[in-house]
Amino acid sequence: MTWGSGRSREWLKDLFTFGLAALLLVCLSYALPRLMPGDFVTAMFASSHVTLSQEQESEARAYFQKEEGFPGYLLRLLSLDWGRSYALGQPVSSLIFQALPWTLLLAGGAHLLASLLGFVTGVEAAWRRNSPRERALVGLATVLEGVPEMALAAVLLALLAFQLHWLPSAGAQTPYAEFSFGERLADTARHLALPLATLVLAYFPGNFLLARNSMVMVLGEEFILTARAKGLPDWRVRYHHAARNALLPVVTRFGLRLAFMVTGVVVVETIFSYPGLGTLLFNAIRSRDLPLIQGVVLFSSMAVLAVNMGLEILYARIDPRARNAH
Amino acid sequence: MSRARFLLQAAIAFSMLLVEAPILWAQTREVRIADSKGDWGYPNPWKHYPRGPGYVRMSWVYDTLVWKDENGIVPALGSSWQYDRERMAFVFEIVPNAKWHDGRPLTPDDVAFTVAYFKKHPYGWVVLDHVERAEATGPHQVTFFLKEPYAPFLEDVGGTMPILPRHVWEKVSDPKAYAEPDAYLGSGPFVFKDFDVAKGTYLYEAFPDYYRGRPKVDRLVYIKASDPIAALSSGQADLASIEPEMRPLLEQRGMTVIADKAGWVKKLMINHRLPPFQDRRFRQALAHAISQQEIIQKAHRGRGRPASYGLLSADHDHYNPDTPKYPHDPGKARQILESLGFQAGPDGFYLKDGKPLKVELLASSITVAGQPTSDRDGEVIRQQLESAGIWVELRNMEQATADARVRNWEFQLAISGHGGIMGDPKILNEMISEAYAAGSVNSARFQANKELLDLLDAQMKEMDPAKRKAMVHRIQEIFAQELPSICLYYPETLSAYNPSKGIRWFYTKGGISKGIPIPQNKLSLLR
Amino acid sequence: MHIEVKTVLGKDKWFLSGASLATILALLSLLGPHAVPFDPQDMSFEPFARPSWEHPLGVNDAGQDILSELVHALGNSLCFGVFVGALGLLLGVGLGLAAGWFGGMAGRVIMSSADVFMAIPSVMVLILVAALLMPSATVLALVLVGLSWSTTAKAVRAQSLSLRGQLHVRASAHMGGSALYVISRHLIPEMFPLYLIGFVAKARMAIFMEASLAFLGLFDPGRKSLGGMIQYALRYYYMDVWWNWLAPAVACLSLAIMAAGFLAISLEKVLDPRLRSRWG
Repeated sequence: MTWGSGRSREWLKDLFTFGLAALLLVCLSYALPRLMPGDFVTAMFASSHVTLSQEQESEARAYFQKEEGFPGYLLRLLSLDWGRSYALGQPVSSLIFQALPWTLLLAGGAHLLASLLGFVTGVEAAWRRNSPRERALVGLATVLEGVPEMALAAVLLALLAFQLHWLPSAGAQTPYAEFSFGERLADTARHLALPLATLVLAYFPGNFLLARNSMVMVLGEEFILTARAKGLPDWRVRYHHAARNALLPVVTRFGLRLAFMVTGVVVVETIFSYPGLGTLLFNAIRSRDLPLIQGVVLFSSMAVLAVNMGLEILYARIDPRARNAH
Repeated sequence: MSRARFLLQAAIAFSMLLVEAPILWAQTREVRIADSKGDWGYPNPWKHYPRGPGYVRMSWVYDTLVWKDENGIVPALGSSWQYDRERMAFVFEIVPNAKWHDGRPLTPDDVAFTVAYFKKHPYGWVVLDHVERAEATGPHQVTFFLKEPYAPFLEDVGGTMPILPRHVWEKVSDPKAYAEPDAYLGSGPFVFKDFDVAKGTYLYEAFPDYYRGRPKVDRLVYIKASDPIAALSSGQADLASIEPEMRPLLEQRGMTVIADKAGWVKKLMINHRLPPFQDRRFRQALAHAISQQEIIQKAHRGRGRPASYGLLSADHDHYNPDTPKYPHDPGKARQILESLGFQAGPDGFYLKDGKPLKVELLASSITVAGQPTSDRDGEVIRQQLESAGIWVELRNMEQATADARVRNWEFQLAISGHGGIMGDPKILNEMISEAYAAGSVNSARFQANKELLDLLDAQMKEMDPAKRKAMVHRIQEIFAQELPSICLYYPETLSAYNPSKGIRWFYTKGGISKGIPIPQNKLSLLR
Repeated sequence: MHIEVKTVLGKDKWFLSGASLATILALLSLLGPHAVPFDPQDMSFEPFARPSWEHPLGVNDAGQDILSELVHALGNSLCFGVFVGALGLLLGVGLGLAAGWFGGMAGRVIMSSADVFMAIPSVMVLILVAALLMPSATVLALVLVGLSWSTTAKAVRAQSLSLRGQLHVRASAHMGGSALYVISRHLIPEMFPLYLIGFVAKARMAIFMEASLAFLGLFDPGRKSLGGMIQYALRYYYMDVWWNWLAPAVACLSLAIMAAGFLAISLEKVLDPRLRSRWG
């Protein structure tokens, strides 16, 4: 398959759309924090033990709040200099990269697990369509789909951490414990268990239902009947022929859901005091740490844009039909 | 299906493994302190966040000339001191065997350098306006020459100013941006090892060559935990601040619970520059309309004490028992309002010149230990004022937003709170006069009473304790008459710790440094 | 067609359970405030009082009746959802129709901006606006509307393009029907199924968002909301508040989102013939 001129025009159009969205986000990230009432110096010092004199206050303000104007901001972004956090004095990029692994572990892990689990159970369910067990599973998934993360988290926390004391209720690791590698791994897993379970339970039903429905549609098509008629083994027909075609919607959903990776987990991060970009953003907003707010907002929105654009291009290659899917 | 069942069983087995994995505590002795916010900045004077917990995190690393324990001021780096009235000078003897964390000796020269450096690069916690200079006047002696007598010197400078190593900072011109490893080099009992911003955790290790001997524990760890009961019960933390309702459960589990004196106060800020709040009688009417006891009962389930209208509590040495009081009396409030020309409207709210008496009340979320959790104070006060005929629009907002509005006088009434009221009576100056606290949102910034302002200035220069006390009494009296802001209540402040670690934590008399109501005093960990 | 849809929907168990759930919740939130004896802001009861005849769900930390709080919170959440759903739908349908019918430059601009809006992570924008500006619930709802119209607009445009090509619509236009006439008589009614799906999906998303923002404390704390109730109840986890405070709020929120979910599923499969075969 070669790239026709029509297709490359489509491709350019996509690029243009995403570019426009990116620009809009940059503008937003520049404008919104400047619209907000309150500033860093007031947020940081005003109700602290420190009582600044007029002179000290204006000095602090001058030190922190250098106004550079939008062109300067844009230029700095393009040169990948995202500034330093007011509160911590560290480069914004280093703060983001400290928090990022935890977000990837929790949100990325949950997405991956929920997608895989949803896909496999969806395919199996479709294969056993209309059996009582399948009906029960579909019903359960539909009900579970209605329970928001917040509610799941509250129930899991109440039951497993507060009542039964099985799992830790907060944090990502026992900090600075002198553990061997294996112990550290187990410790991290124990801390991850509750937030991860919450997110997997929240994401699983959607993936399951989607995979099942796509699979049911595929199973009705002729080539499956042909494959079965040829006497191929069951599992081969199921996965090699049918499930491949049911994969696309699940992957699409994976991409769309990735958009919620940073912000979608804020609630769960907050409930479980789990580190990550959401917590970083939340603290930055609280202390009016302008460069950090801008950095996190931009980083995560750009990541979403990039992933979506990548997927868009990927679909066009995998399946020309996907072009007209929406 | 059998495969699925197998997978399920494997998953269950694995998760059981995780659940059962015991927490193996290491051989080193360590203490762990729980904090619900986690991030308080890096522990040096320019990088810690300017609230109490930030200062405390720095205080492990840097020592001061004097310090405080349960009973008041005790020697620290300054082994003894005296005030020379003639020369207006404080003379400190410096302990001879104190060392920096890199092994170099701490000398009077470092102290003199610290004063000069803080004068050049101000540190908000220490006001050095009254200090002319500091000078090494002997091999182990340093003298502070004052410009004028300064009563709070010992607590305000001696007990708060971290002594800096000259050999590190003399080459640094922008301390806010300085981030080399030696930016955290101090002479305190603990060496700063790590701060994980993402997780909100800190690690300190004992300084073996500390001049008072090696600290009782090898490691000091701060963990982020929003849930003190679980953290304490599971052994993840040894010390945590707790809510009053948690007390019985924790005591039953063998924890020791300690209570602070009234070191923190919740206040109603009033924009006394605006009519009708300009009028002292109107402010007094507000005080009569508000029931301190009811706020404590309803919003805090009885956990707290009504505040003195003169700011300082009965726990304070300088408390004036004759401070004017405003018992809850809506009838009296109405009477005052009517005498000011307000008339009751058809809906029960007061009118003046046909316009309703409608005030906006800002409420935000601030608590003793600095964690942002909202409470219901605003809702109670709204109901109280409305039953006295004042129509209140309650606006709950995020703290930074509310702070900014109070700071710029764009408010009418606001609820706010602060600590430091068990420390030096200098707190009165900061919380009343604009001259001492222009940028503070907790300060009434009230300039309308000349006698009050003069007394505030005078008490700062009065080195005779008895005379100063008389002045401070009078200040509380005038403050309570004028009511530029109304003190509401002192909340109950509790912490719990695990006594099995062999460490006894306590609340410092007058609060750590300038009055921080947190029990993490480094003396608890010293031999 | 309409009759057929009605009978099919009438037999669909997802639709029936979703509709009855939604009706119960709506009735609860509409009639509840008149049925409960207390003002949810009234703080005059004993804090943390256990459930009793007077307070079937007990009293919260601030001495407010939890049942009254719950009923009002549910009303607020549903209102928010319906408001965003309706307004978002209106905007989406309007812009979609305009793009589909008029096409040309205007259509292209509308569709490109729909693409751009779809690419923007709306959660991020919402959190930012809520945290920084602390606007009222109405303003936040409007922001959400502004972020959620694009999917409906795209679907409506595609549908109206295909309808425009159909015989009866073309005939109507040829016979001199004005654009307004053709749109209002043919396009708008014939896309009815799309509206329902769009409305339900948006309302569901809005309820979810409202709860999350309130949970994070980004909504006016004086406004009763399910997310706020869950946040407060969790804060007093050490008290015995699980069953009378946390659970009802969690259940109400889940049921509201579930009801919308059931409706969306049944509408999709009944109204979209391509999907009908997928469901048993």
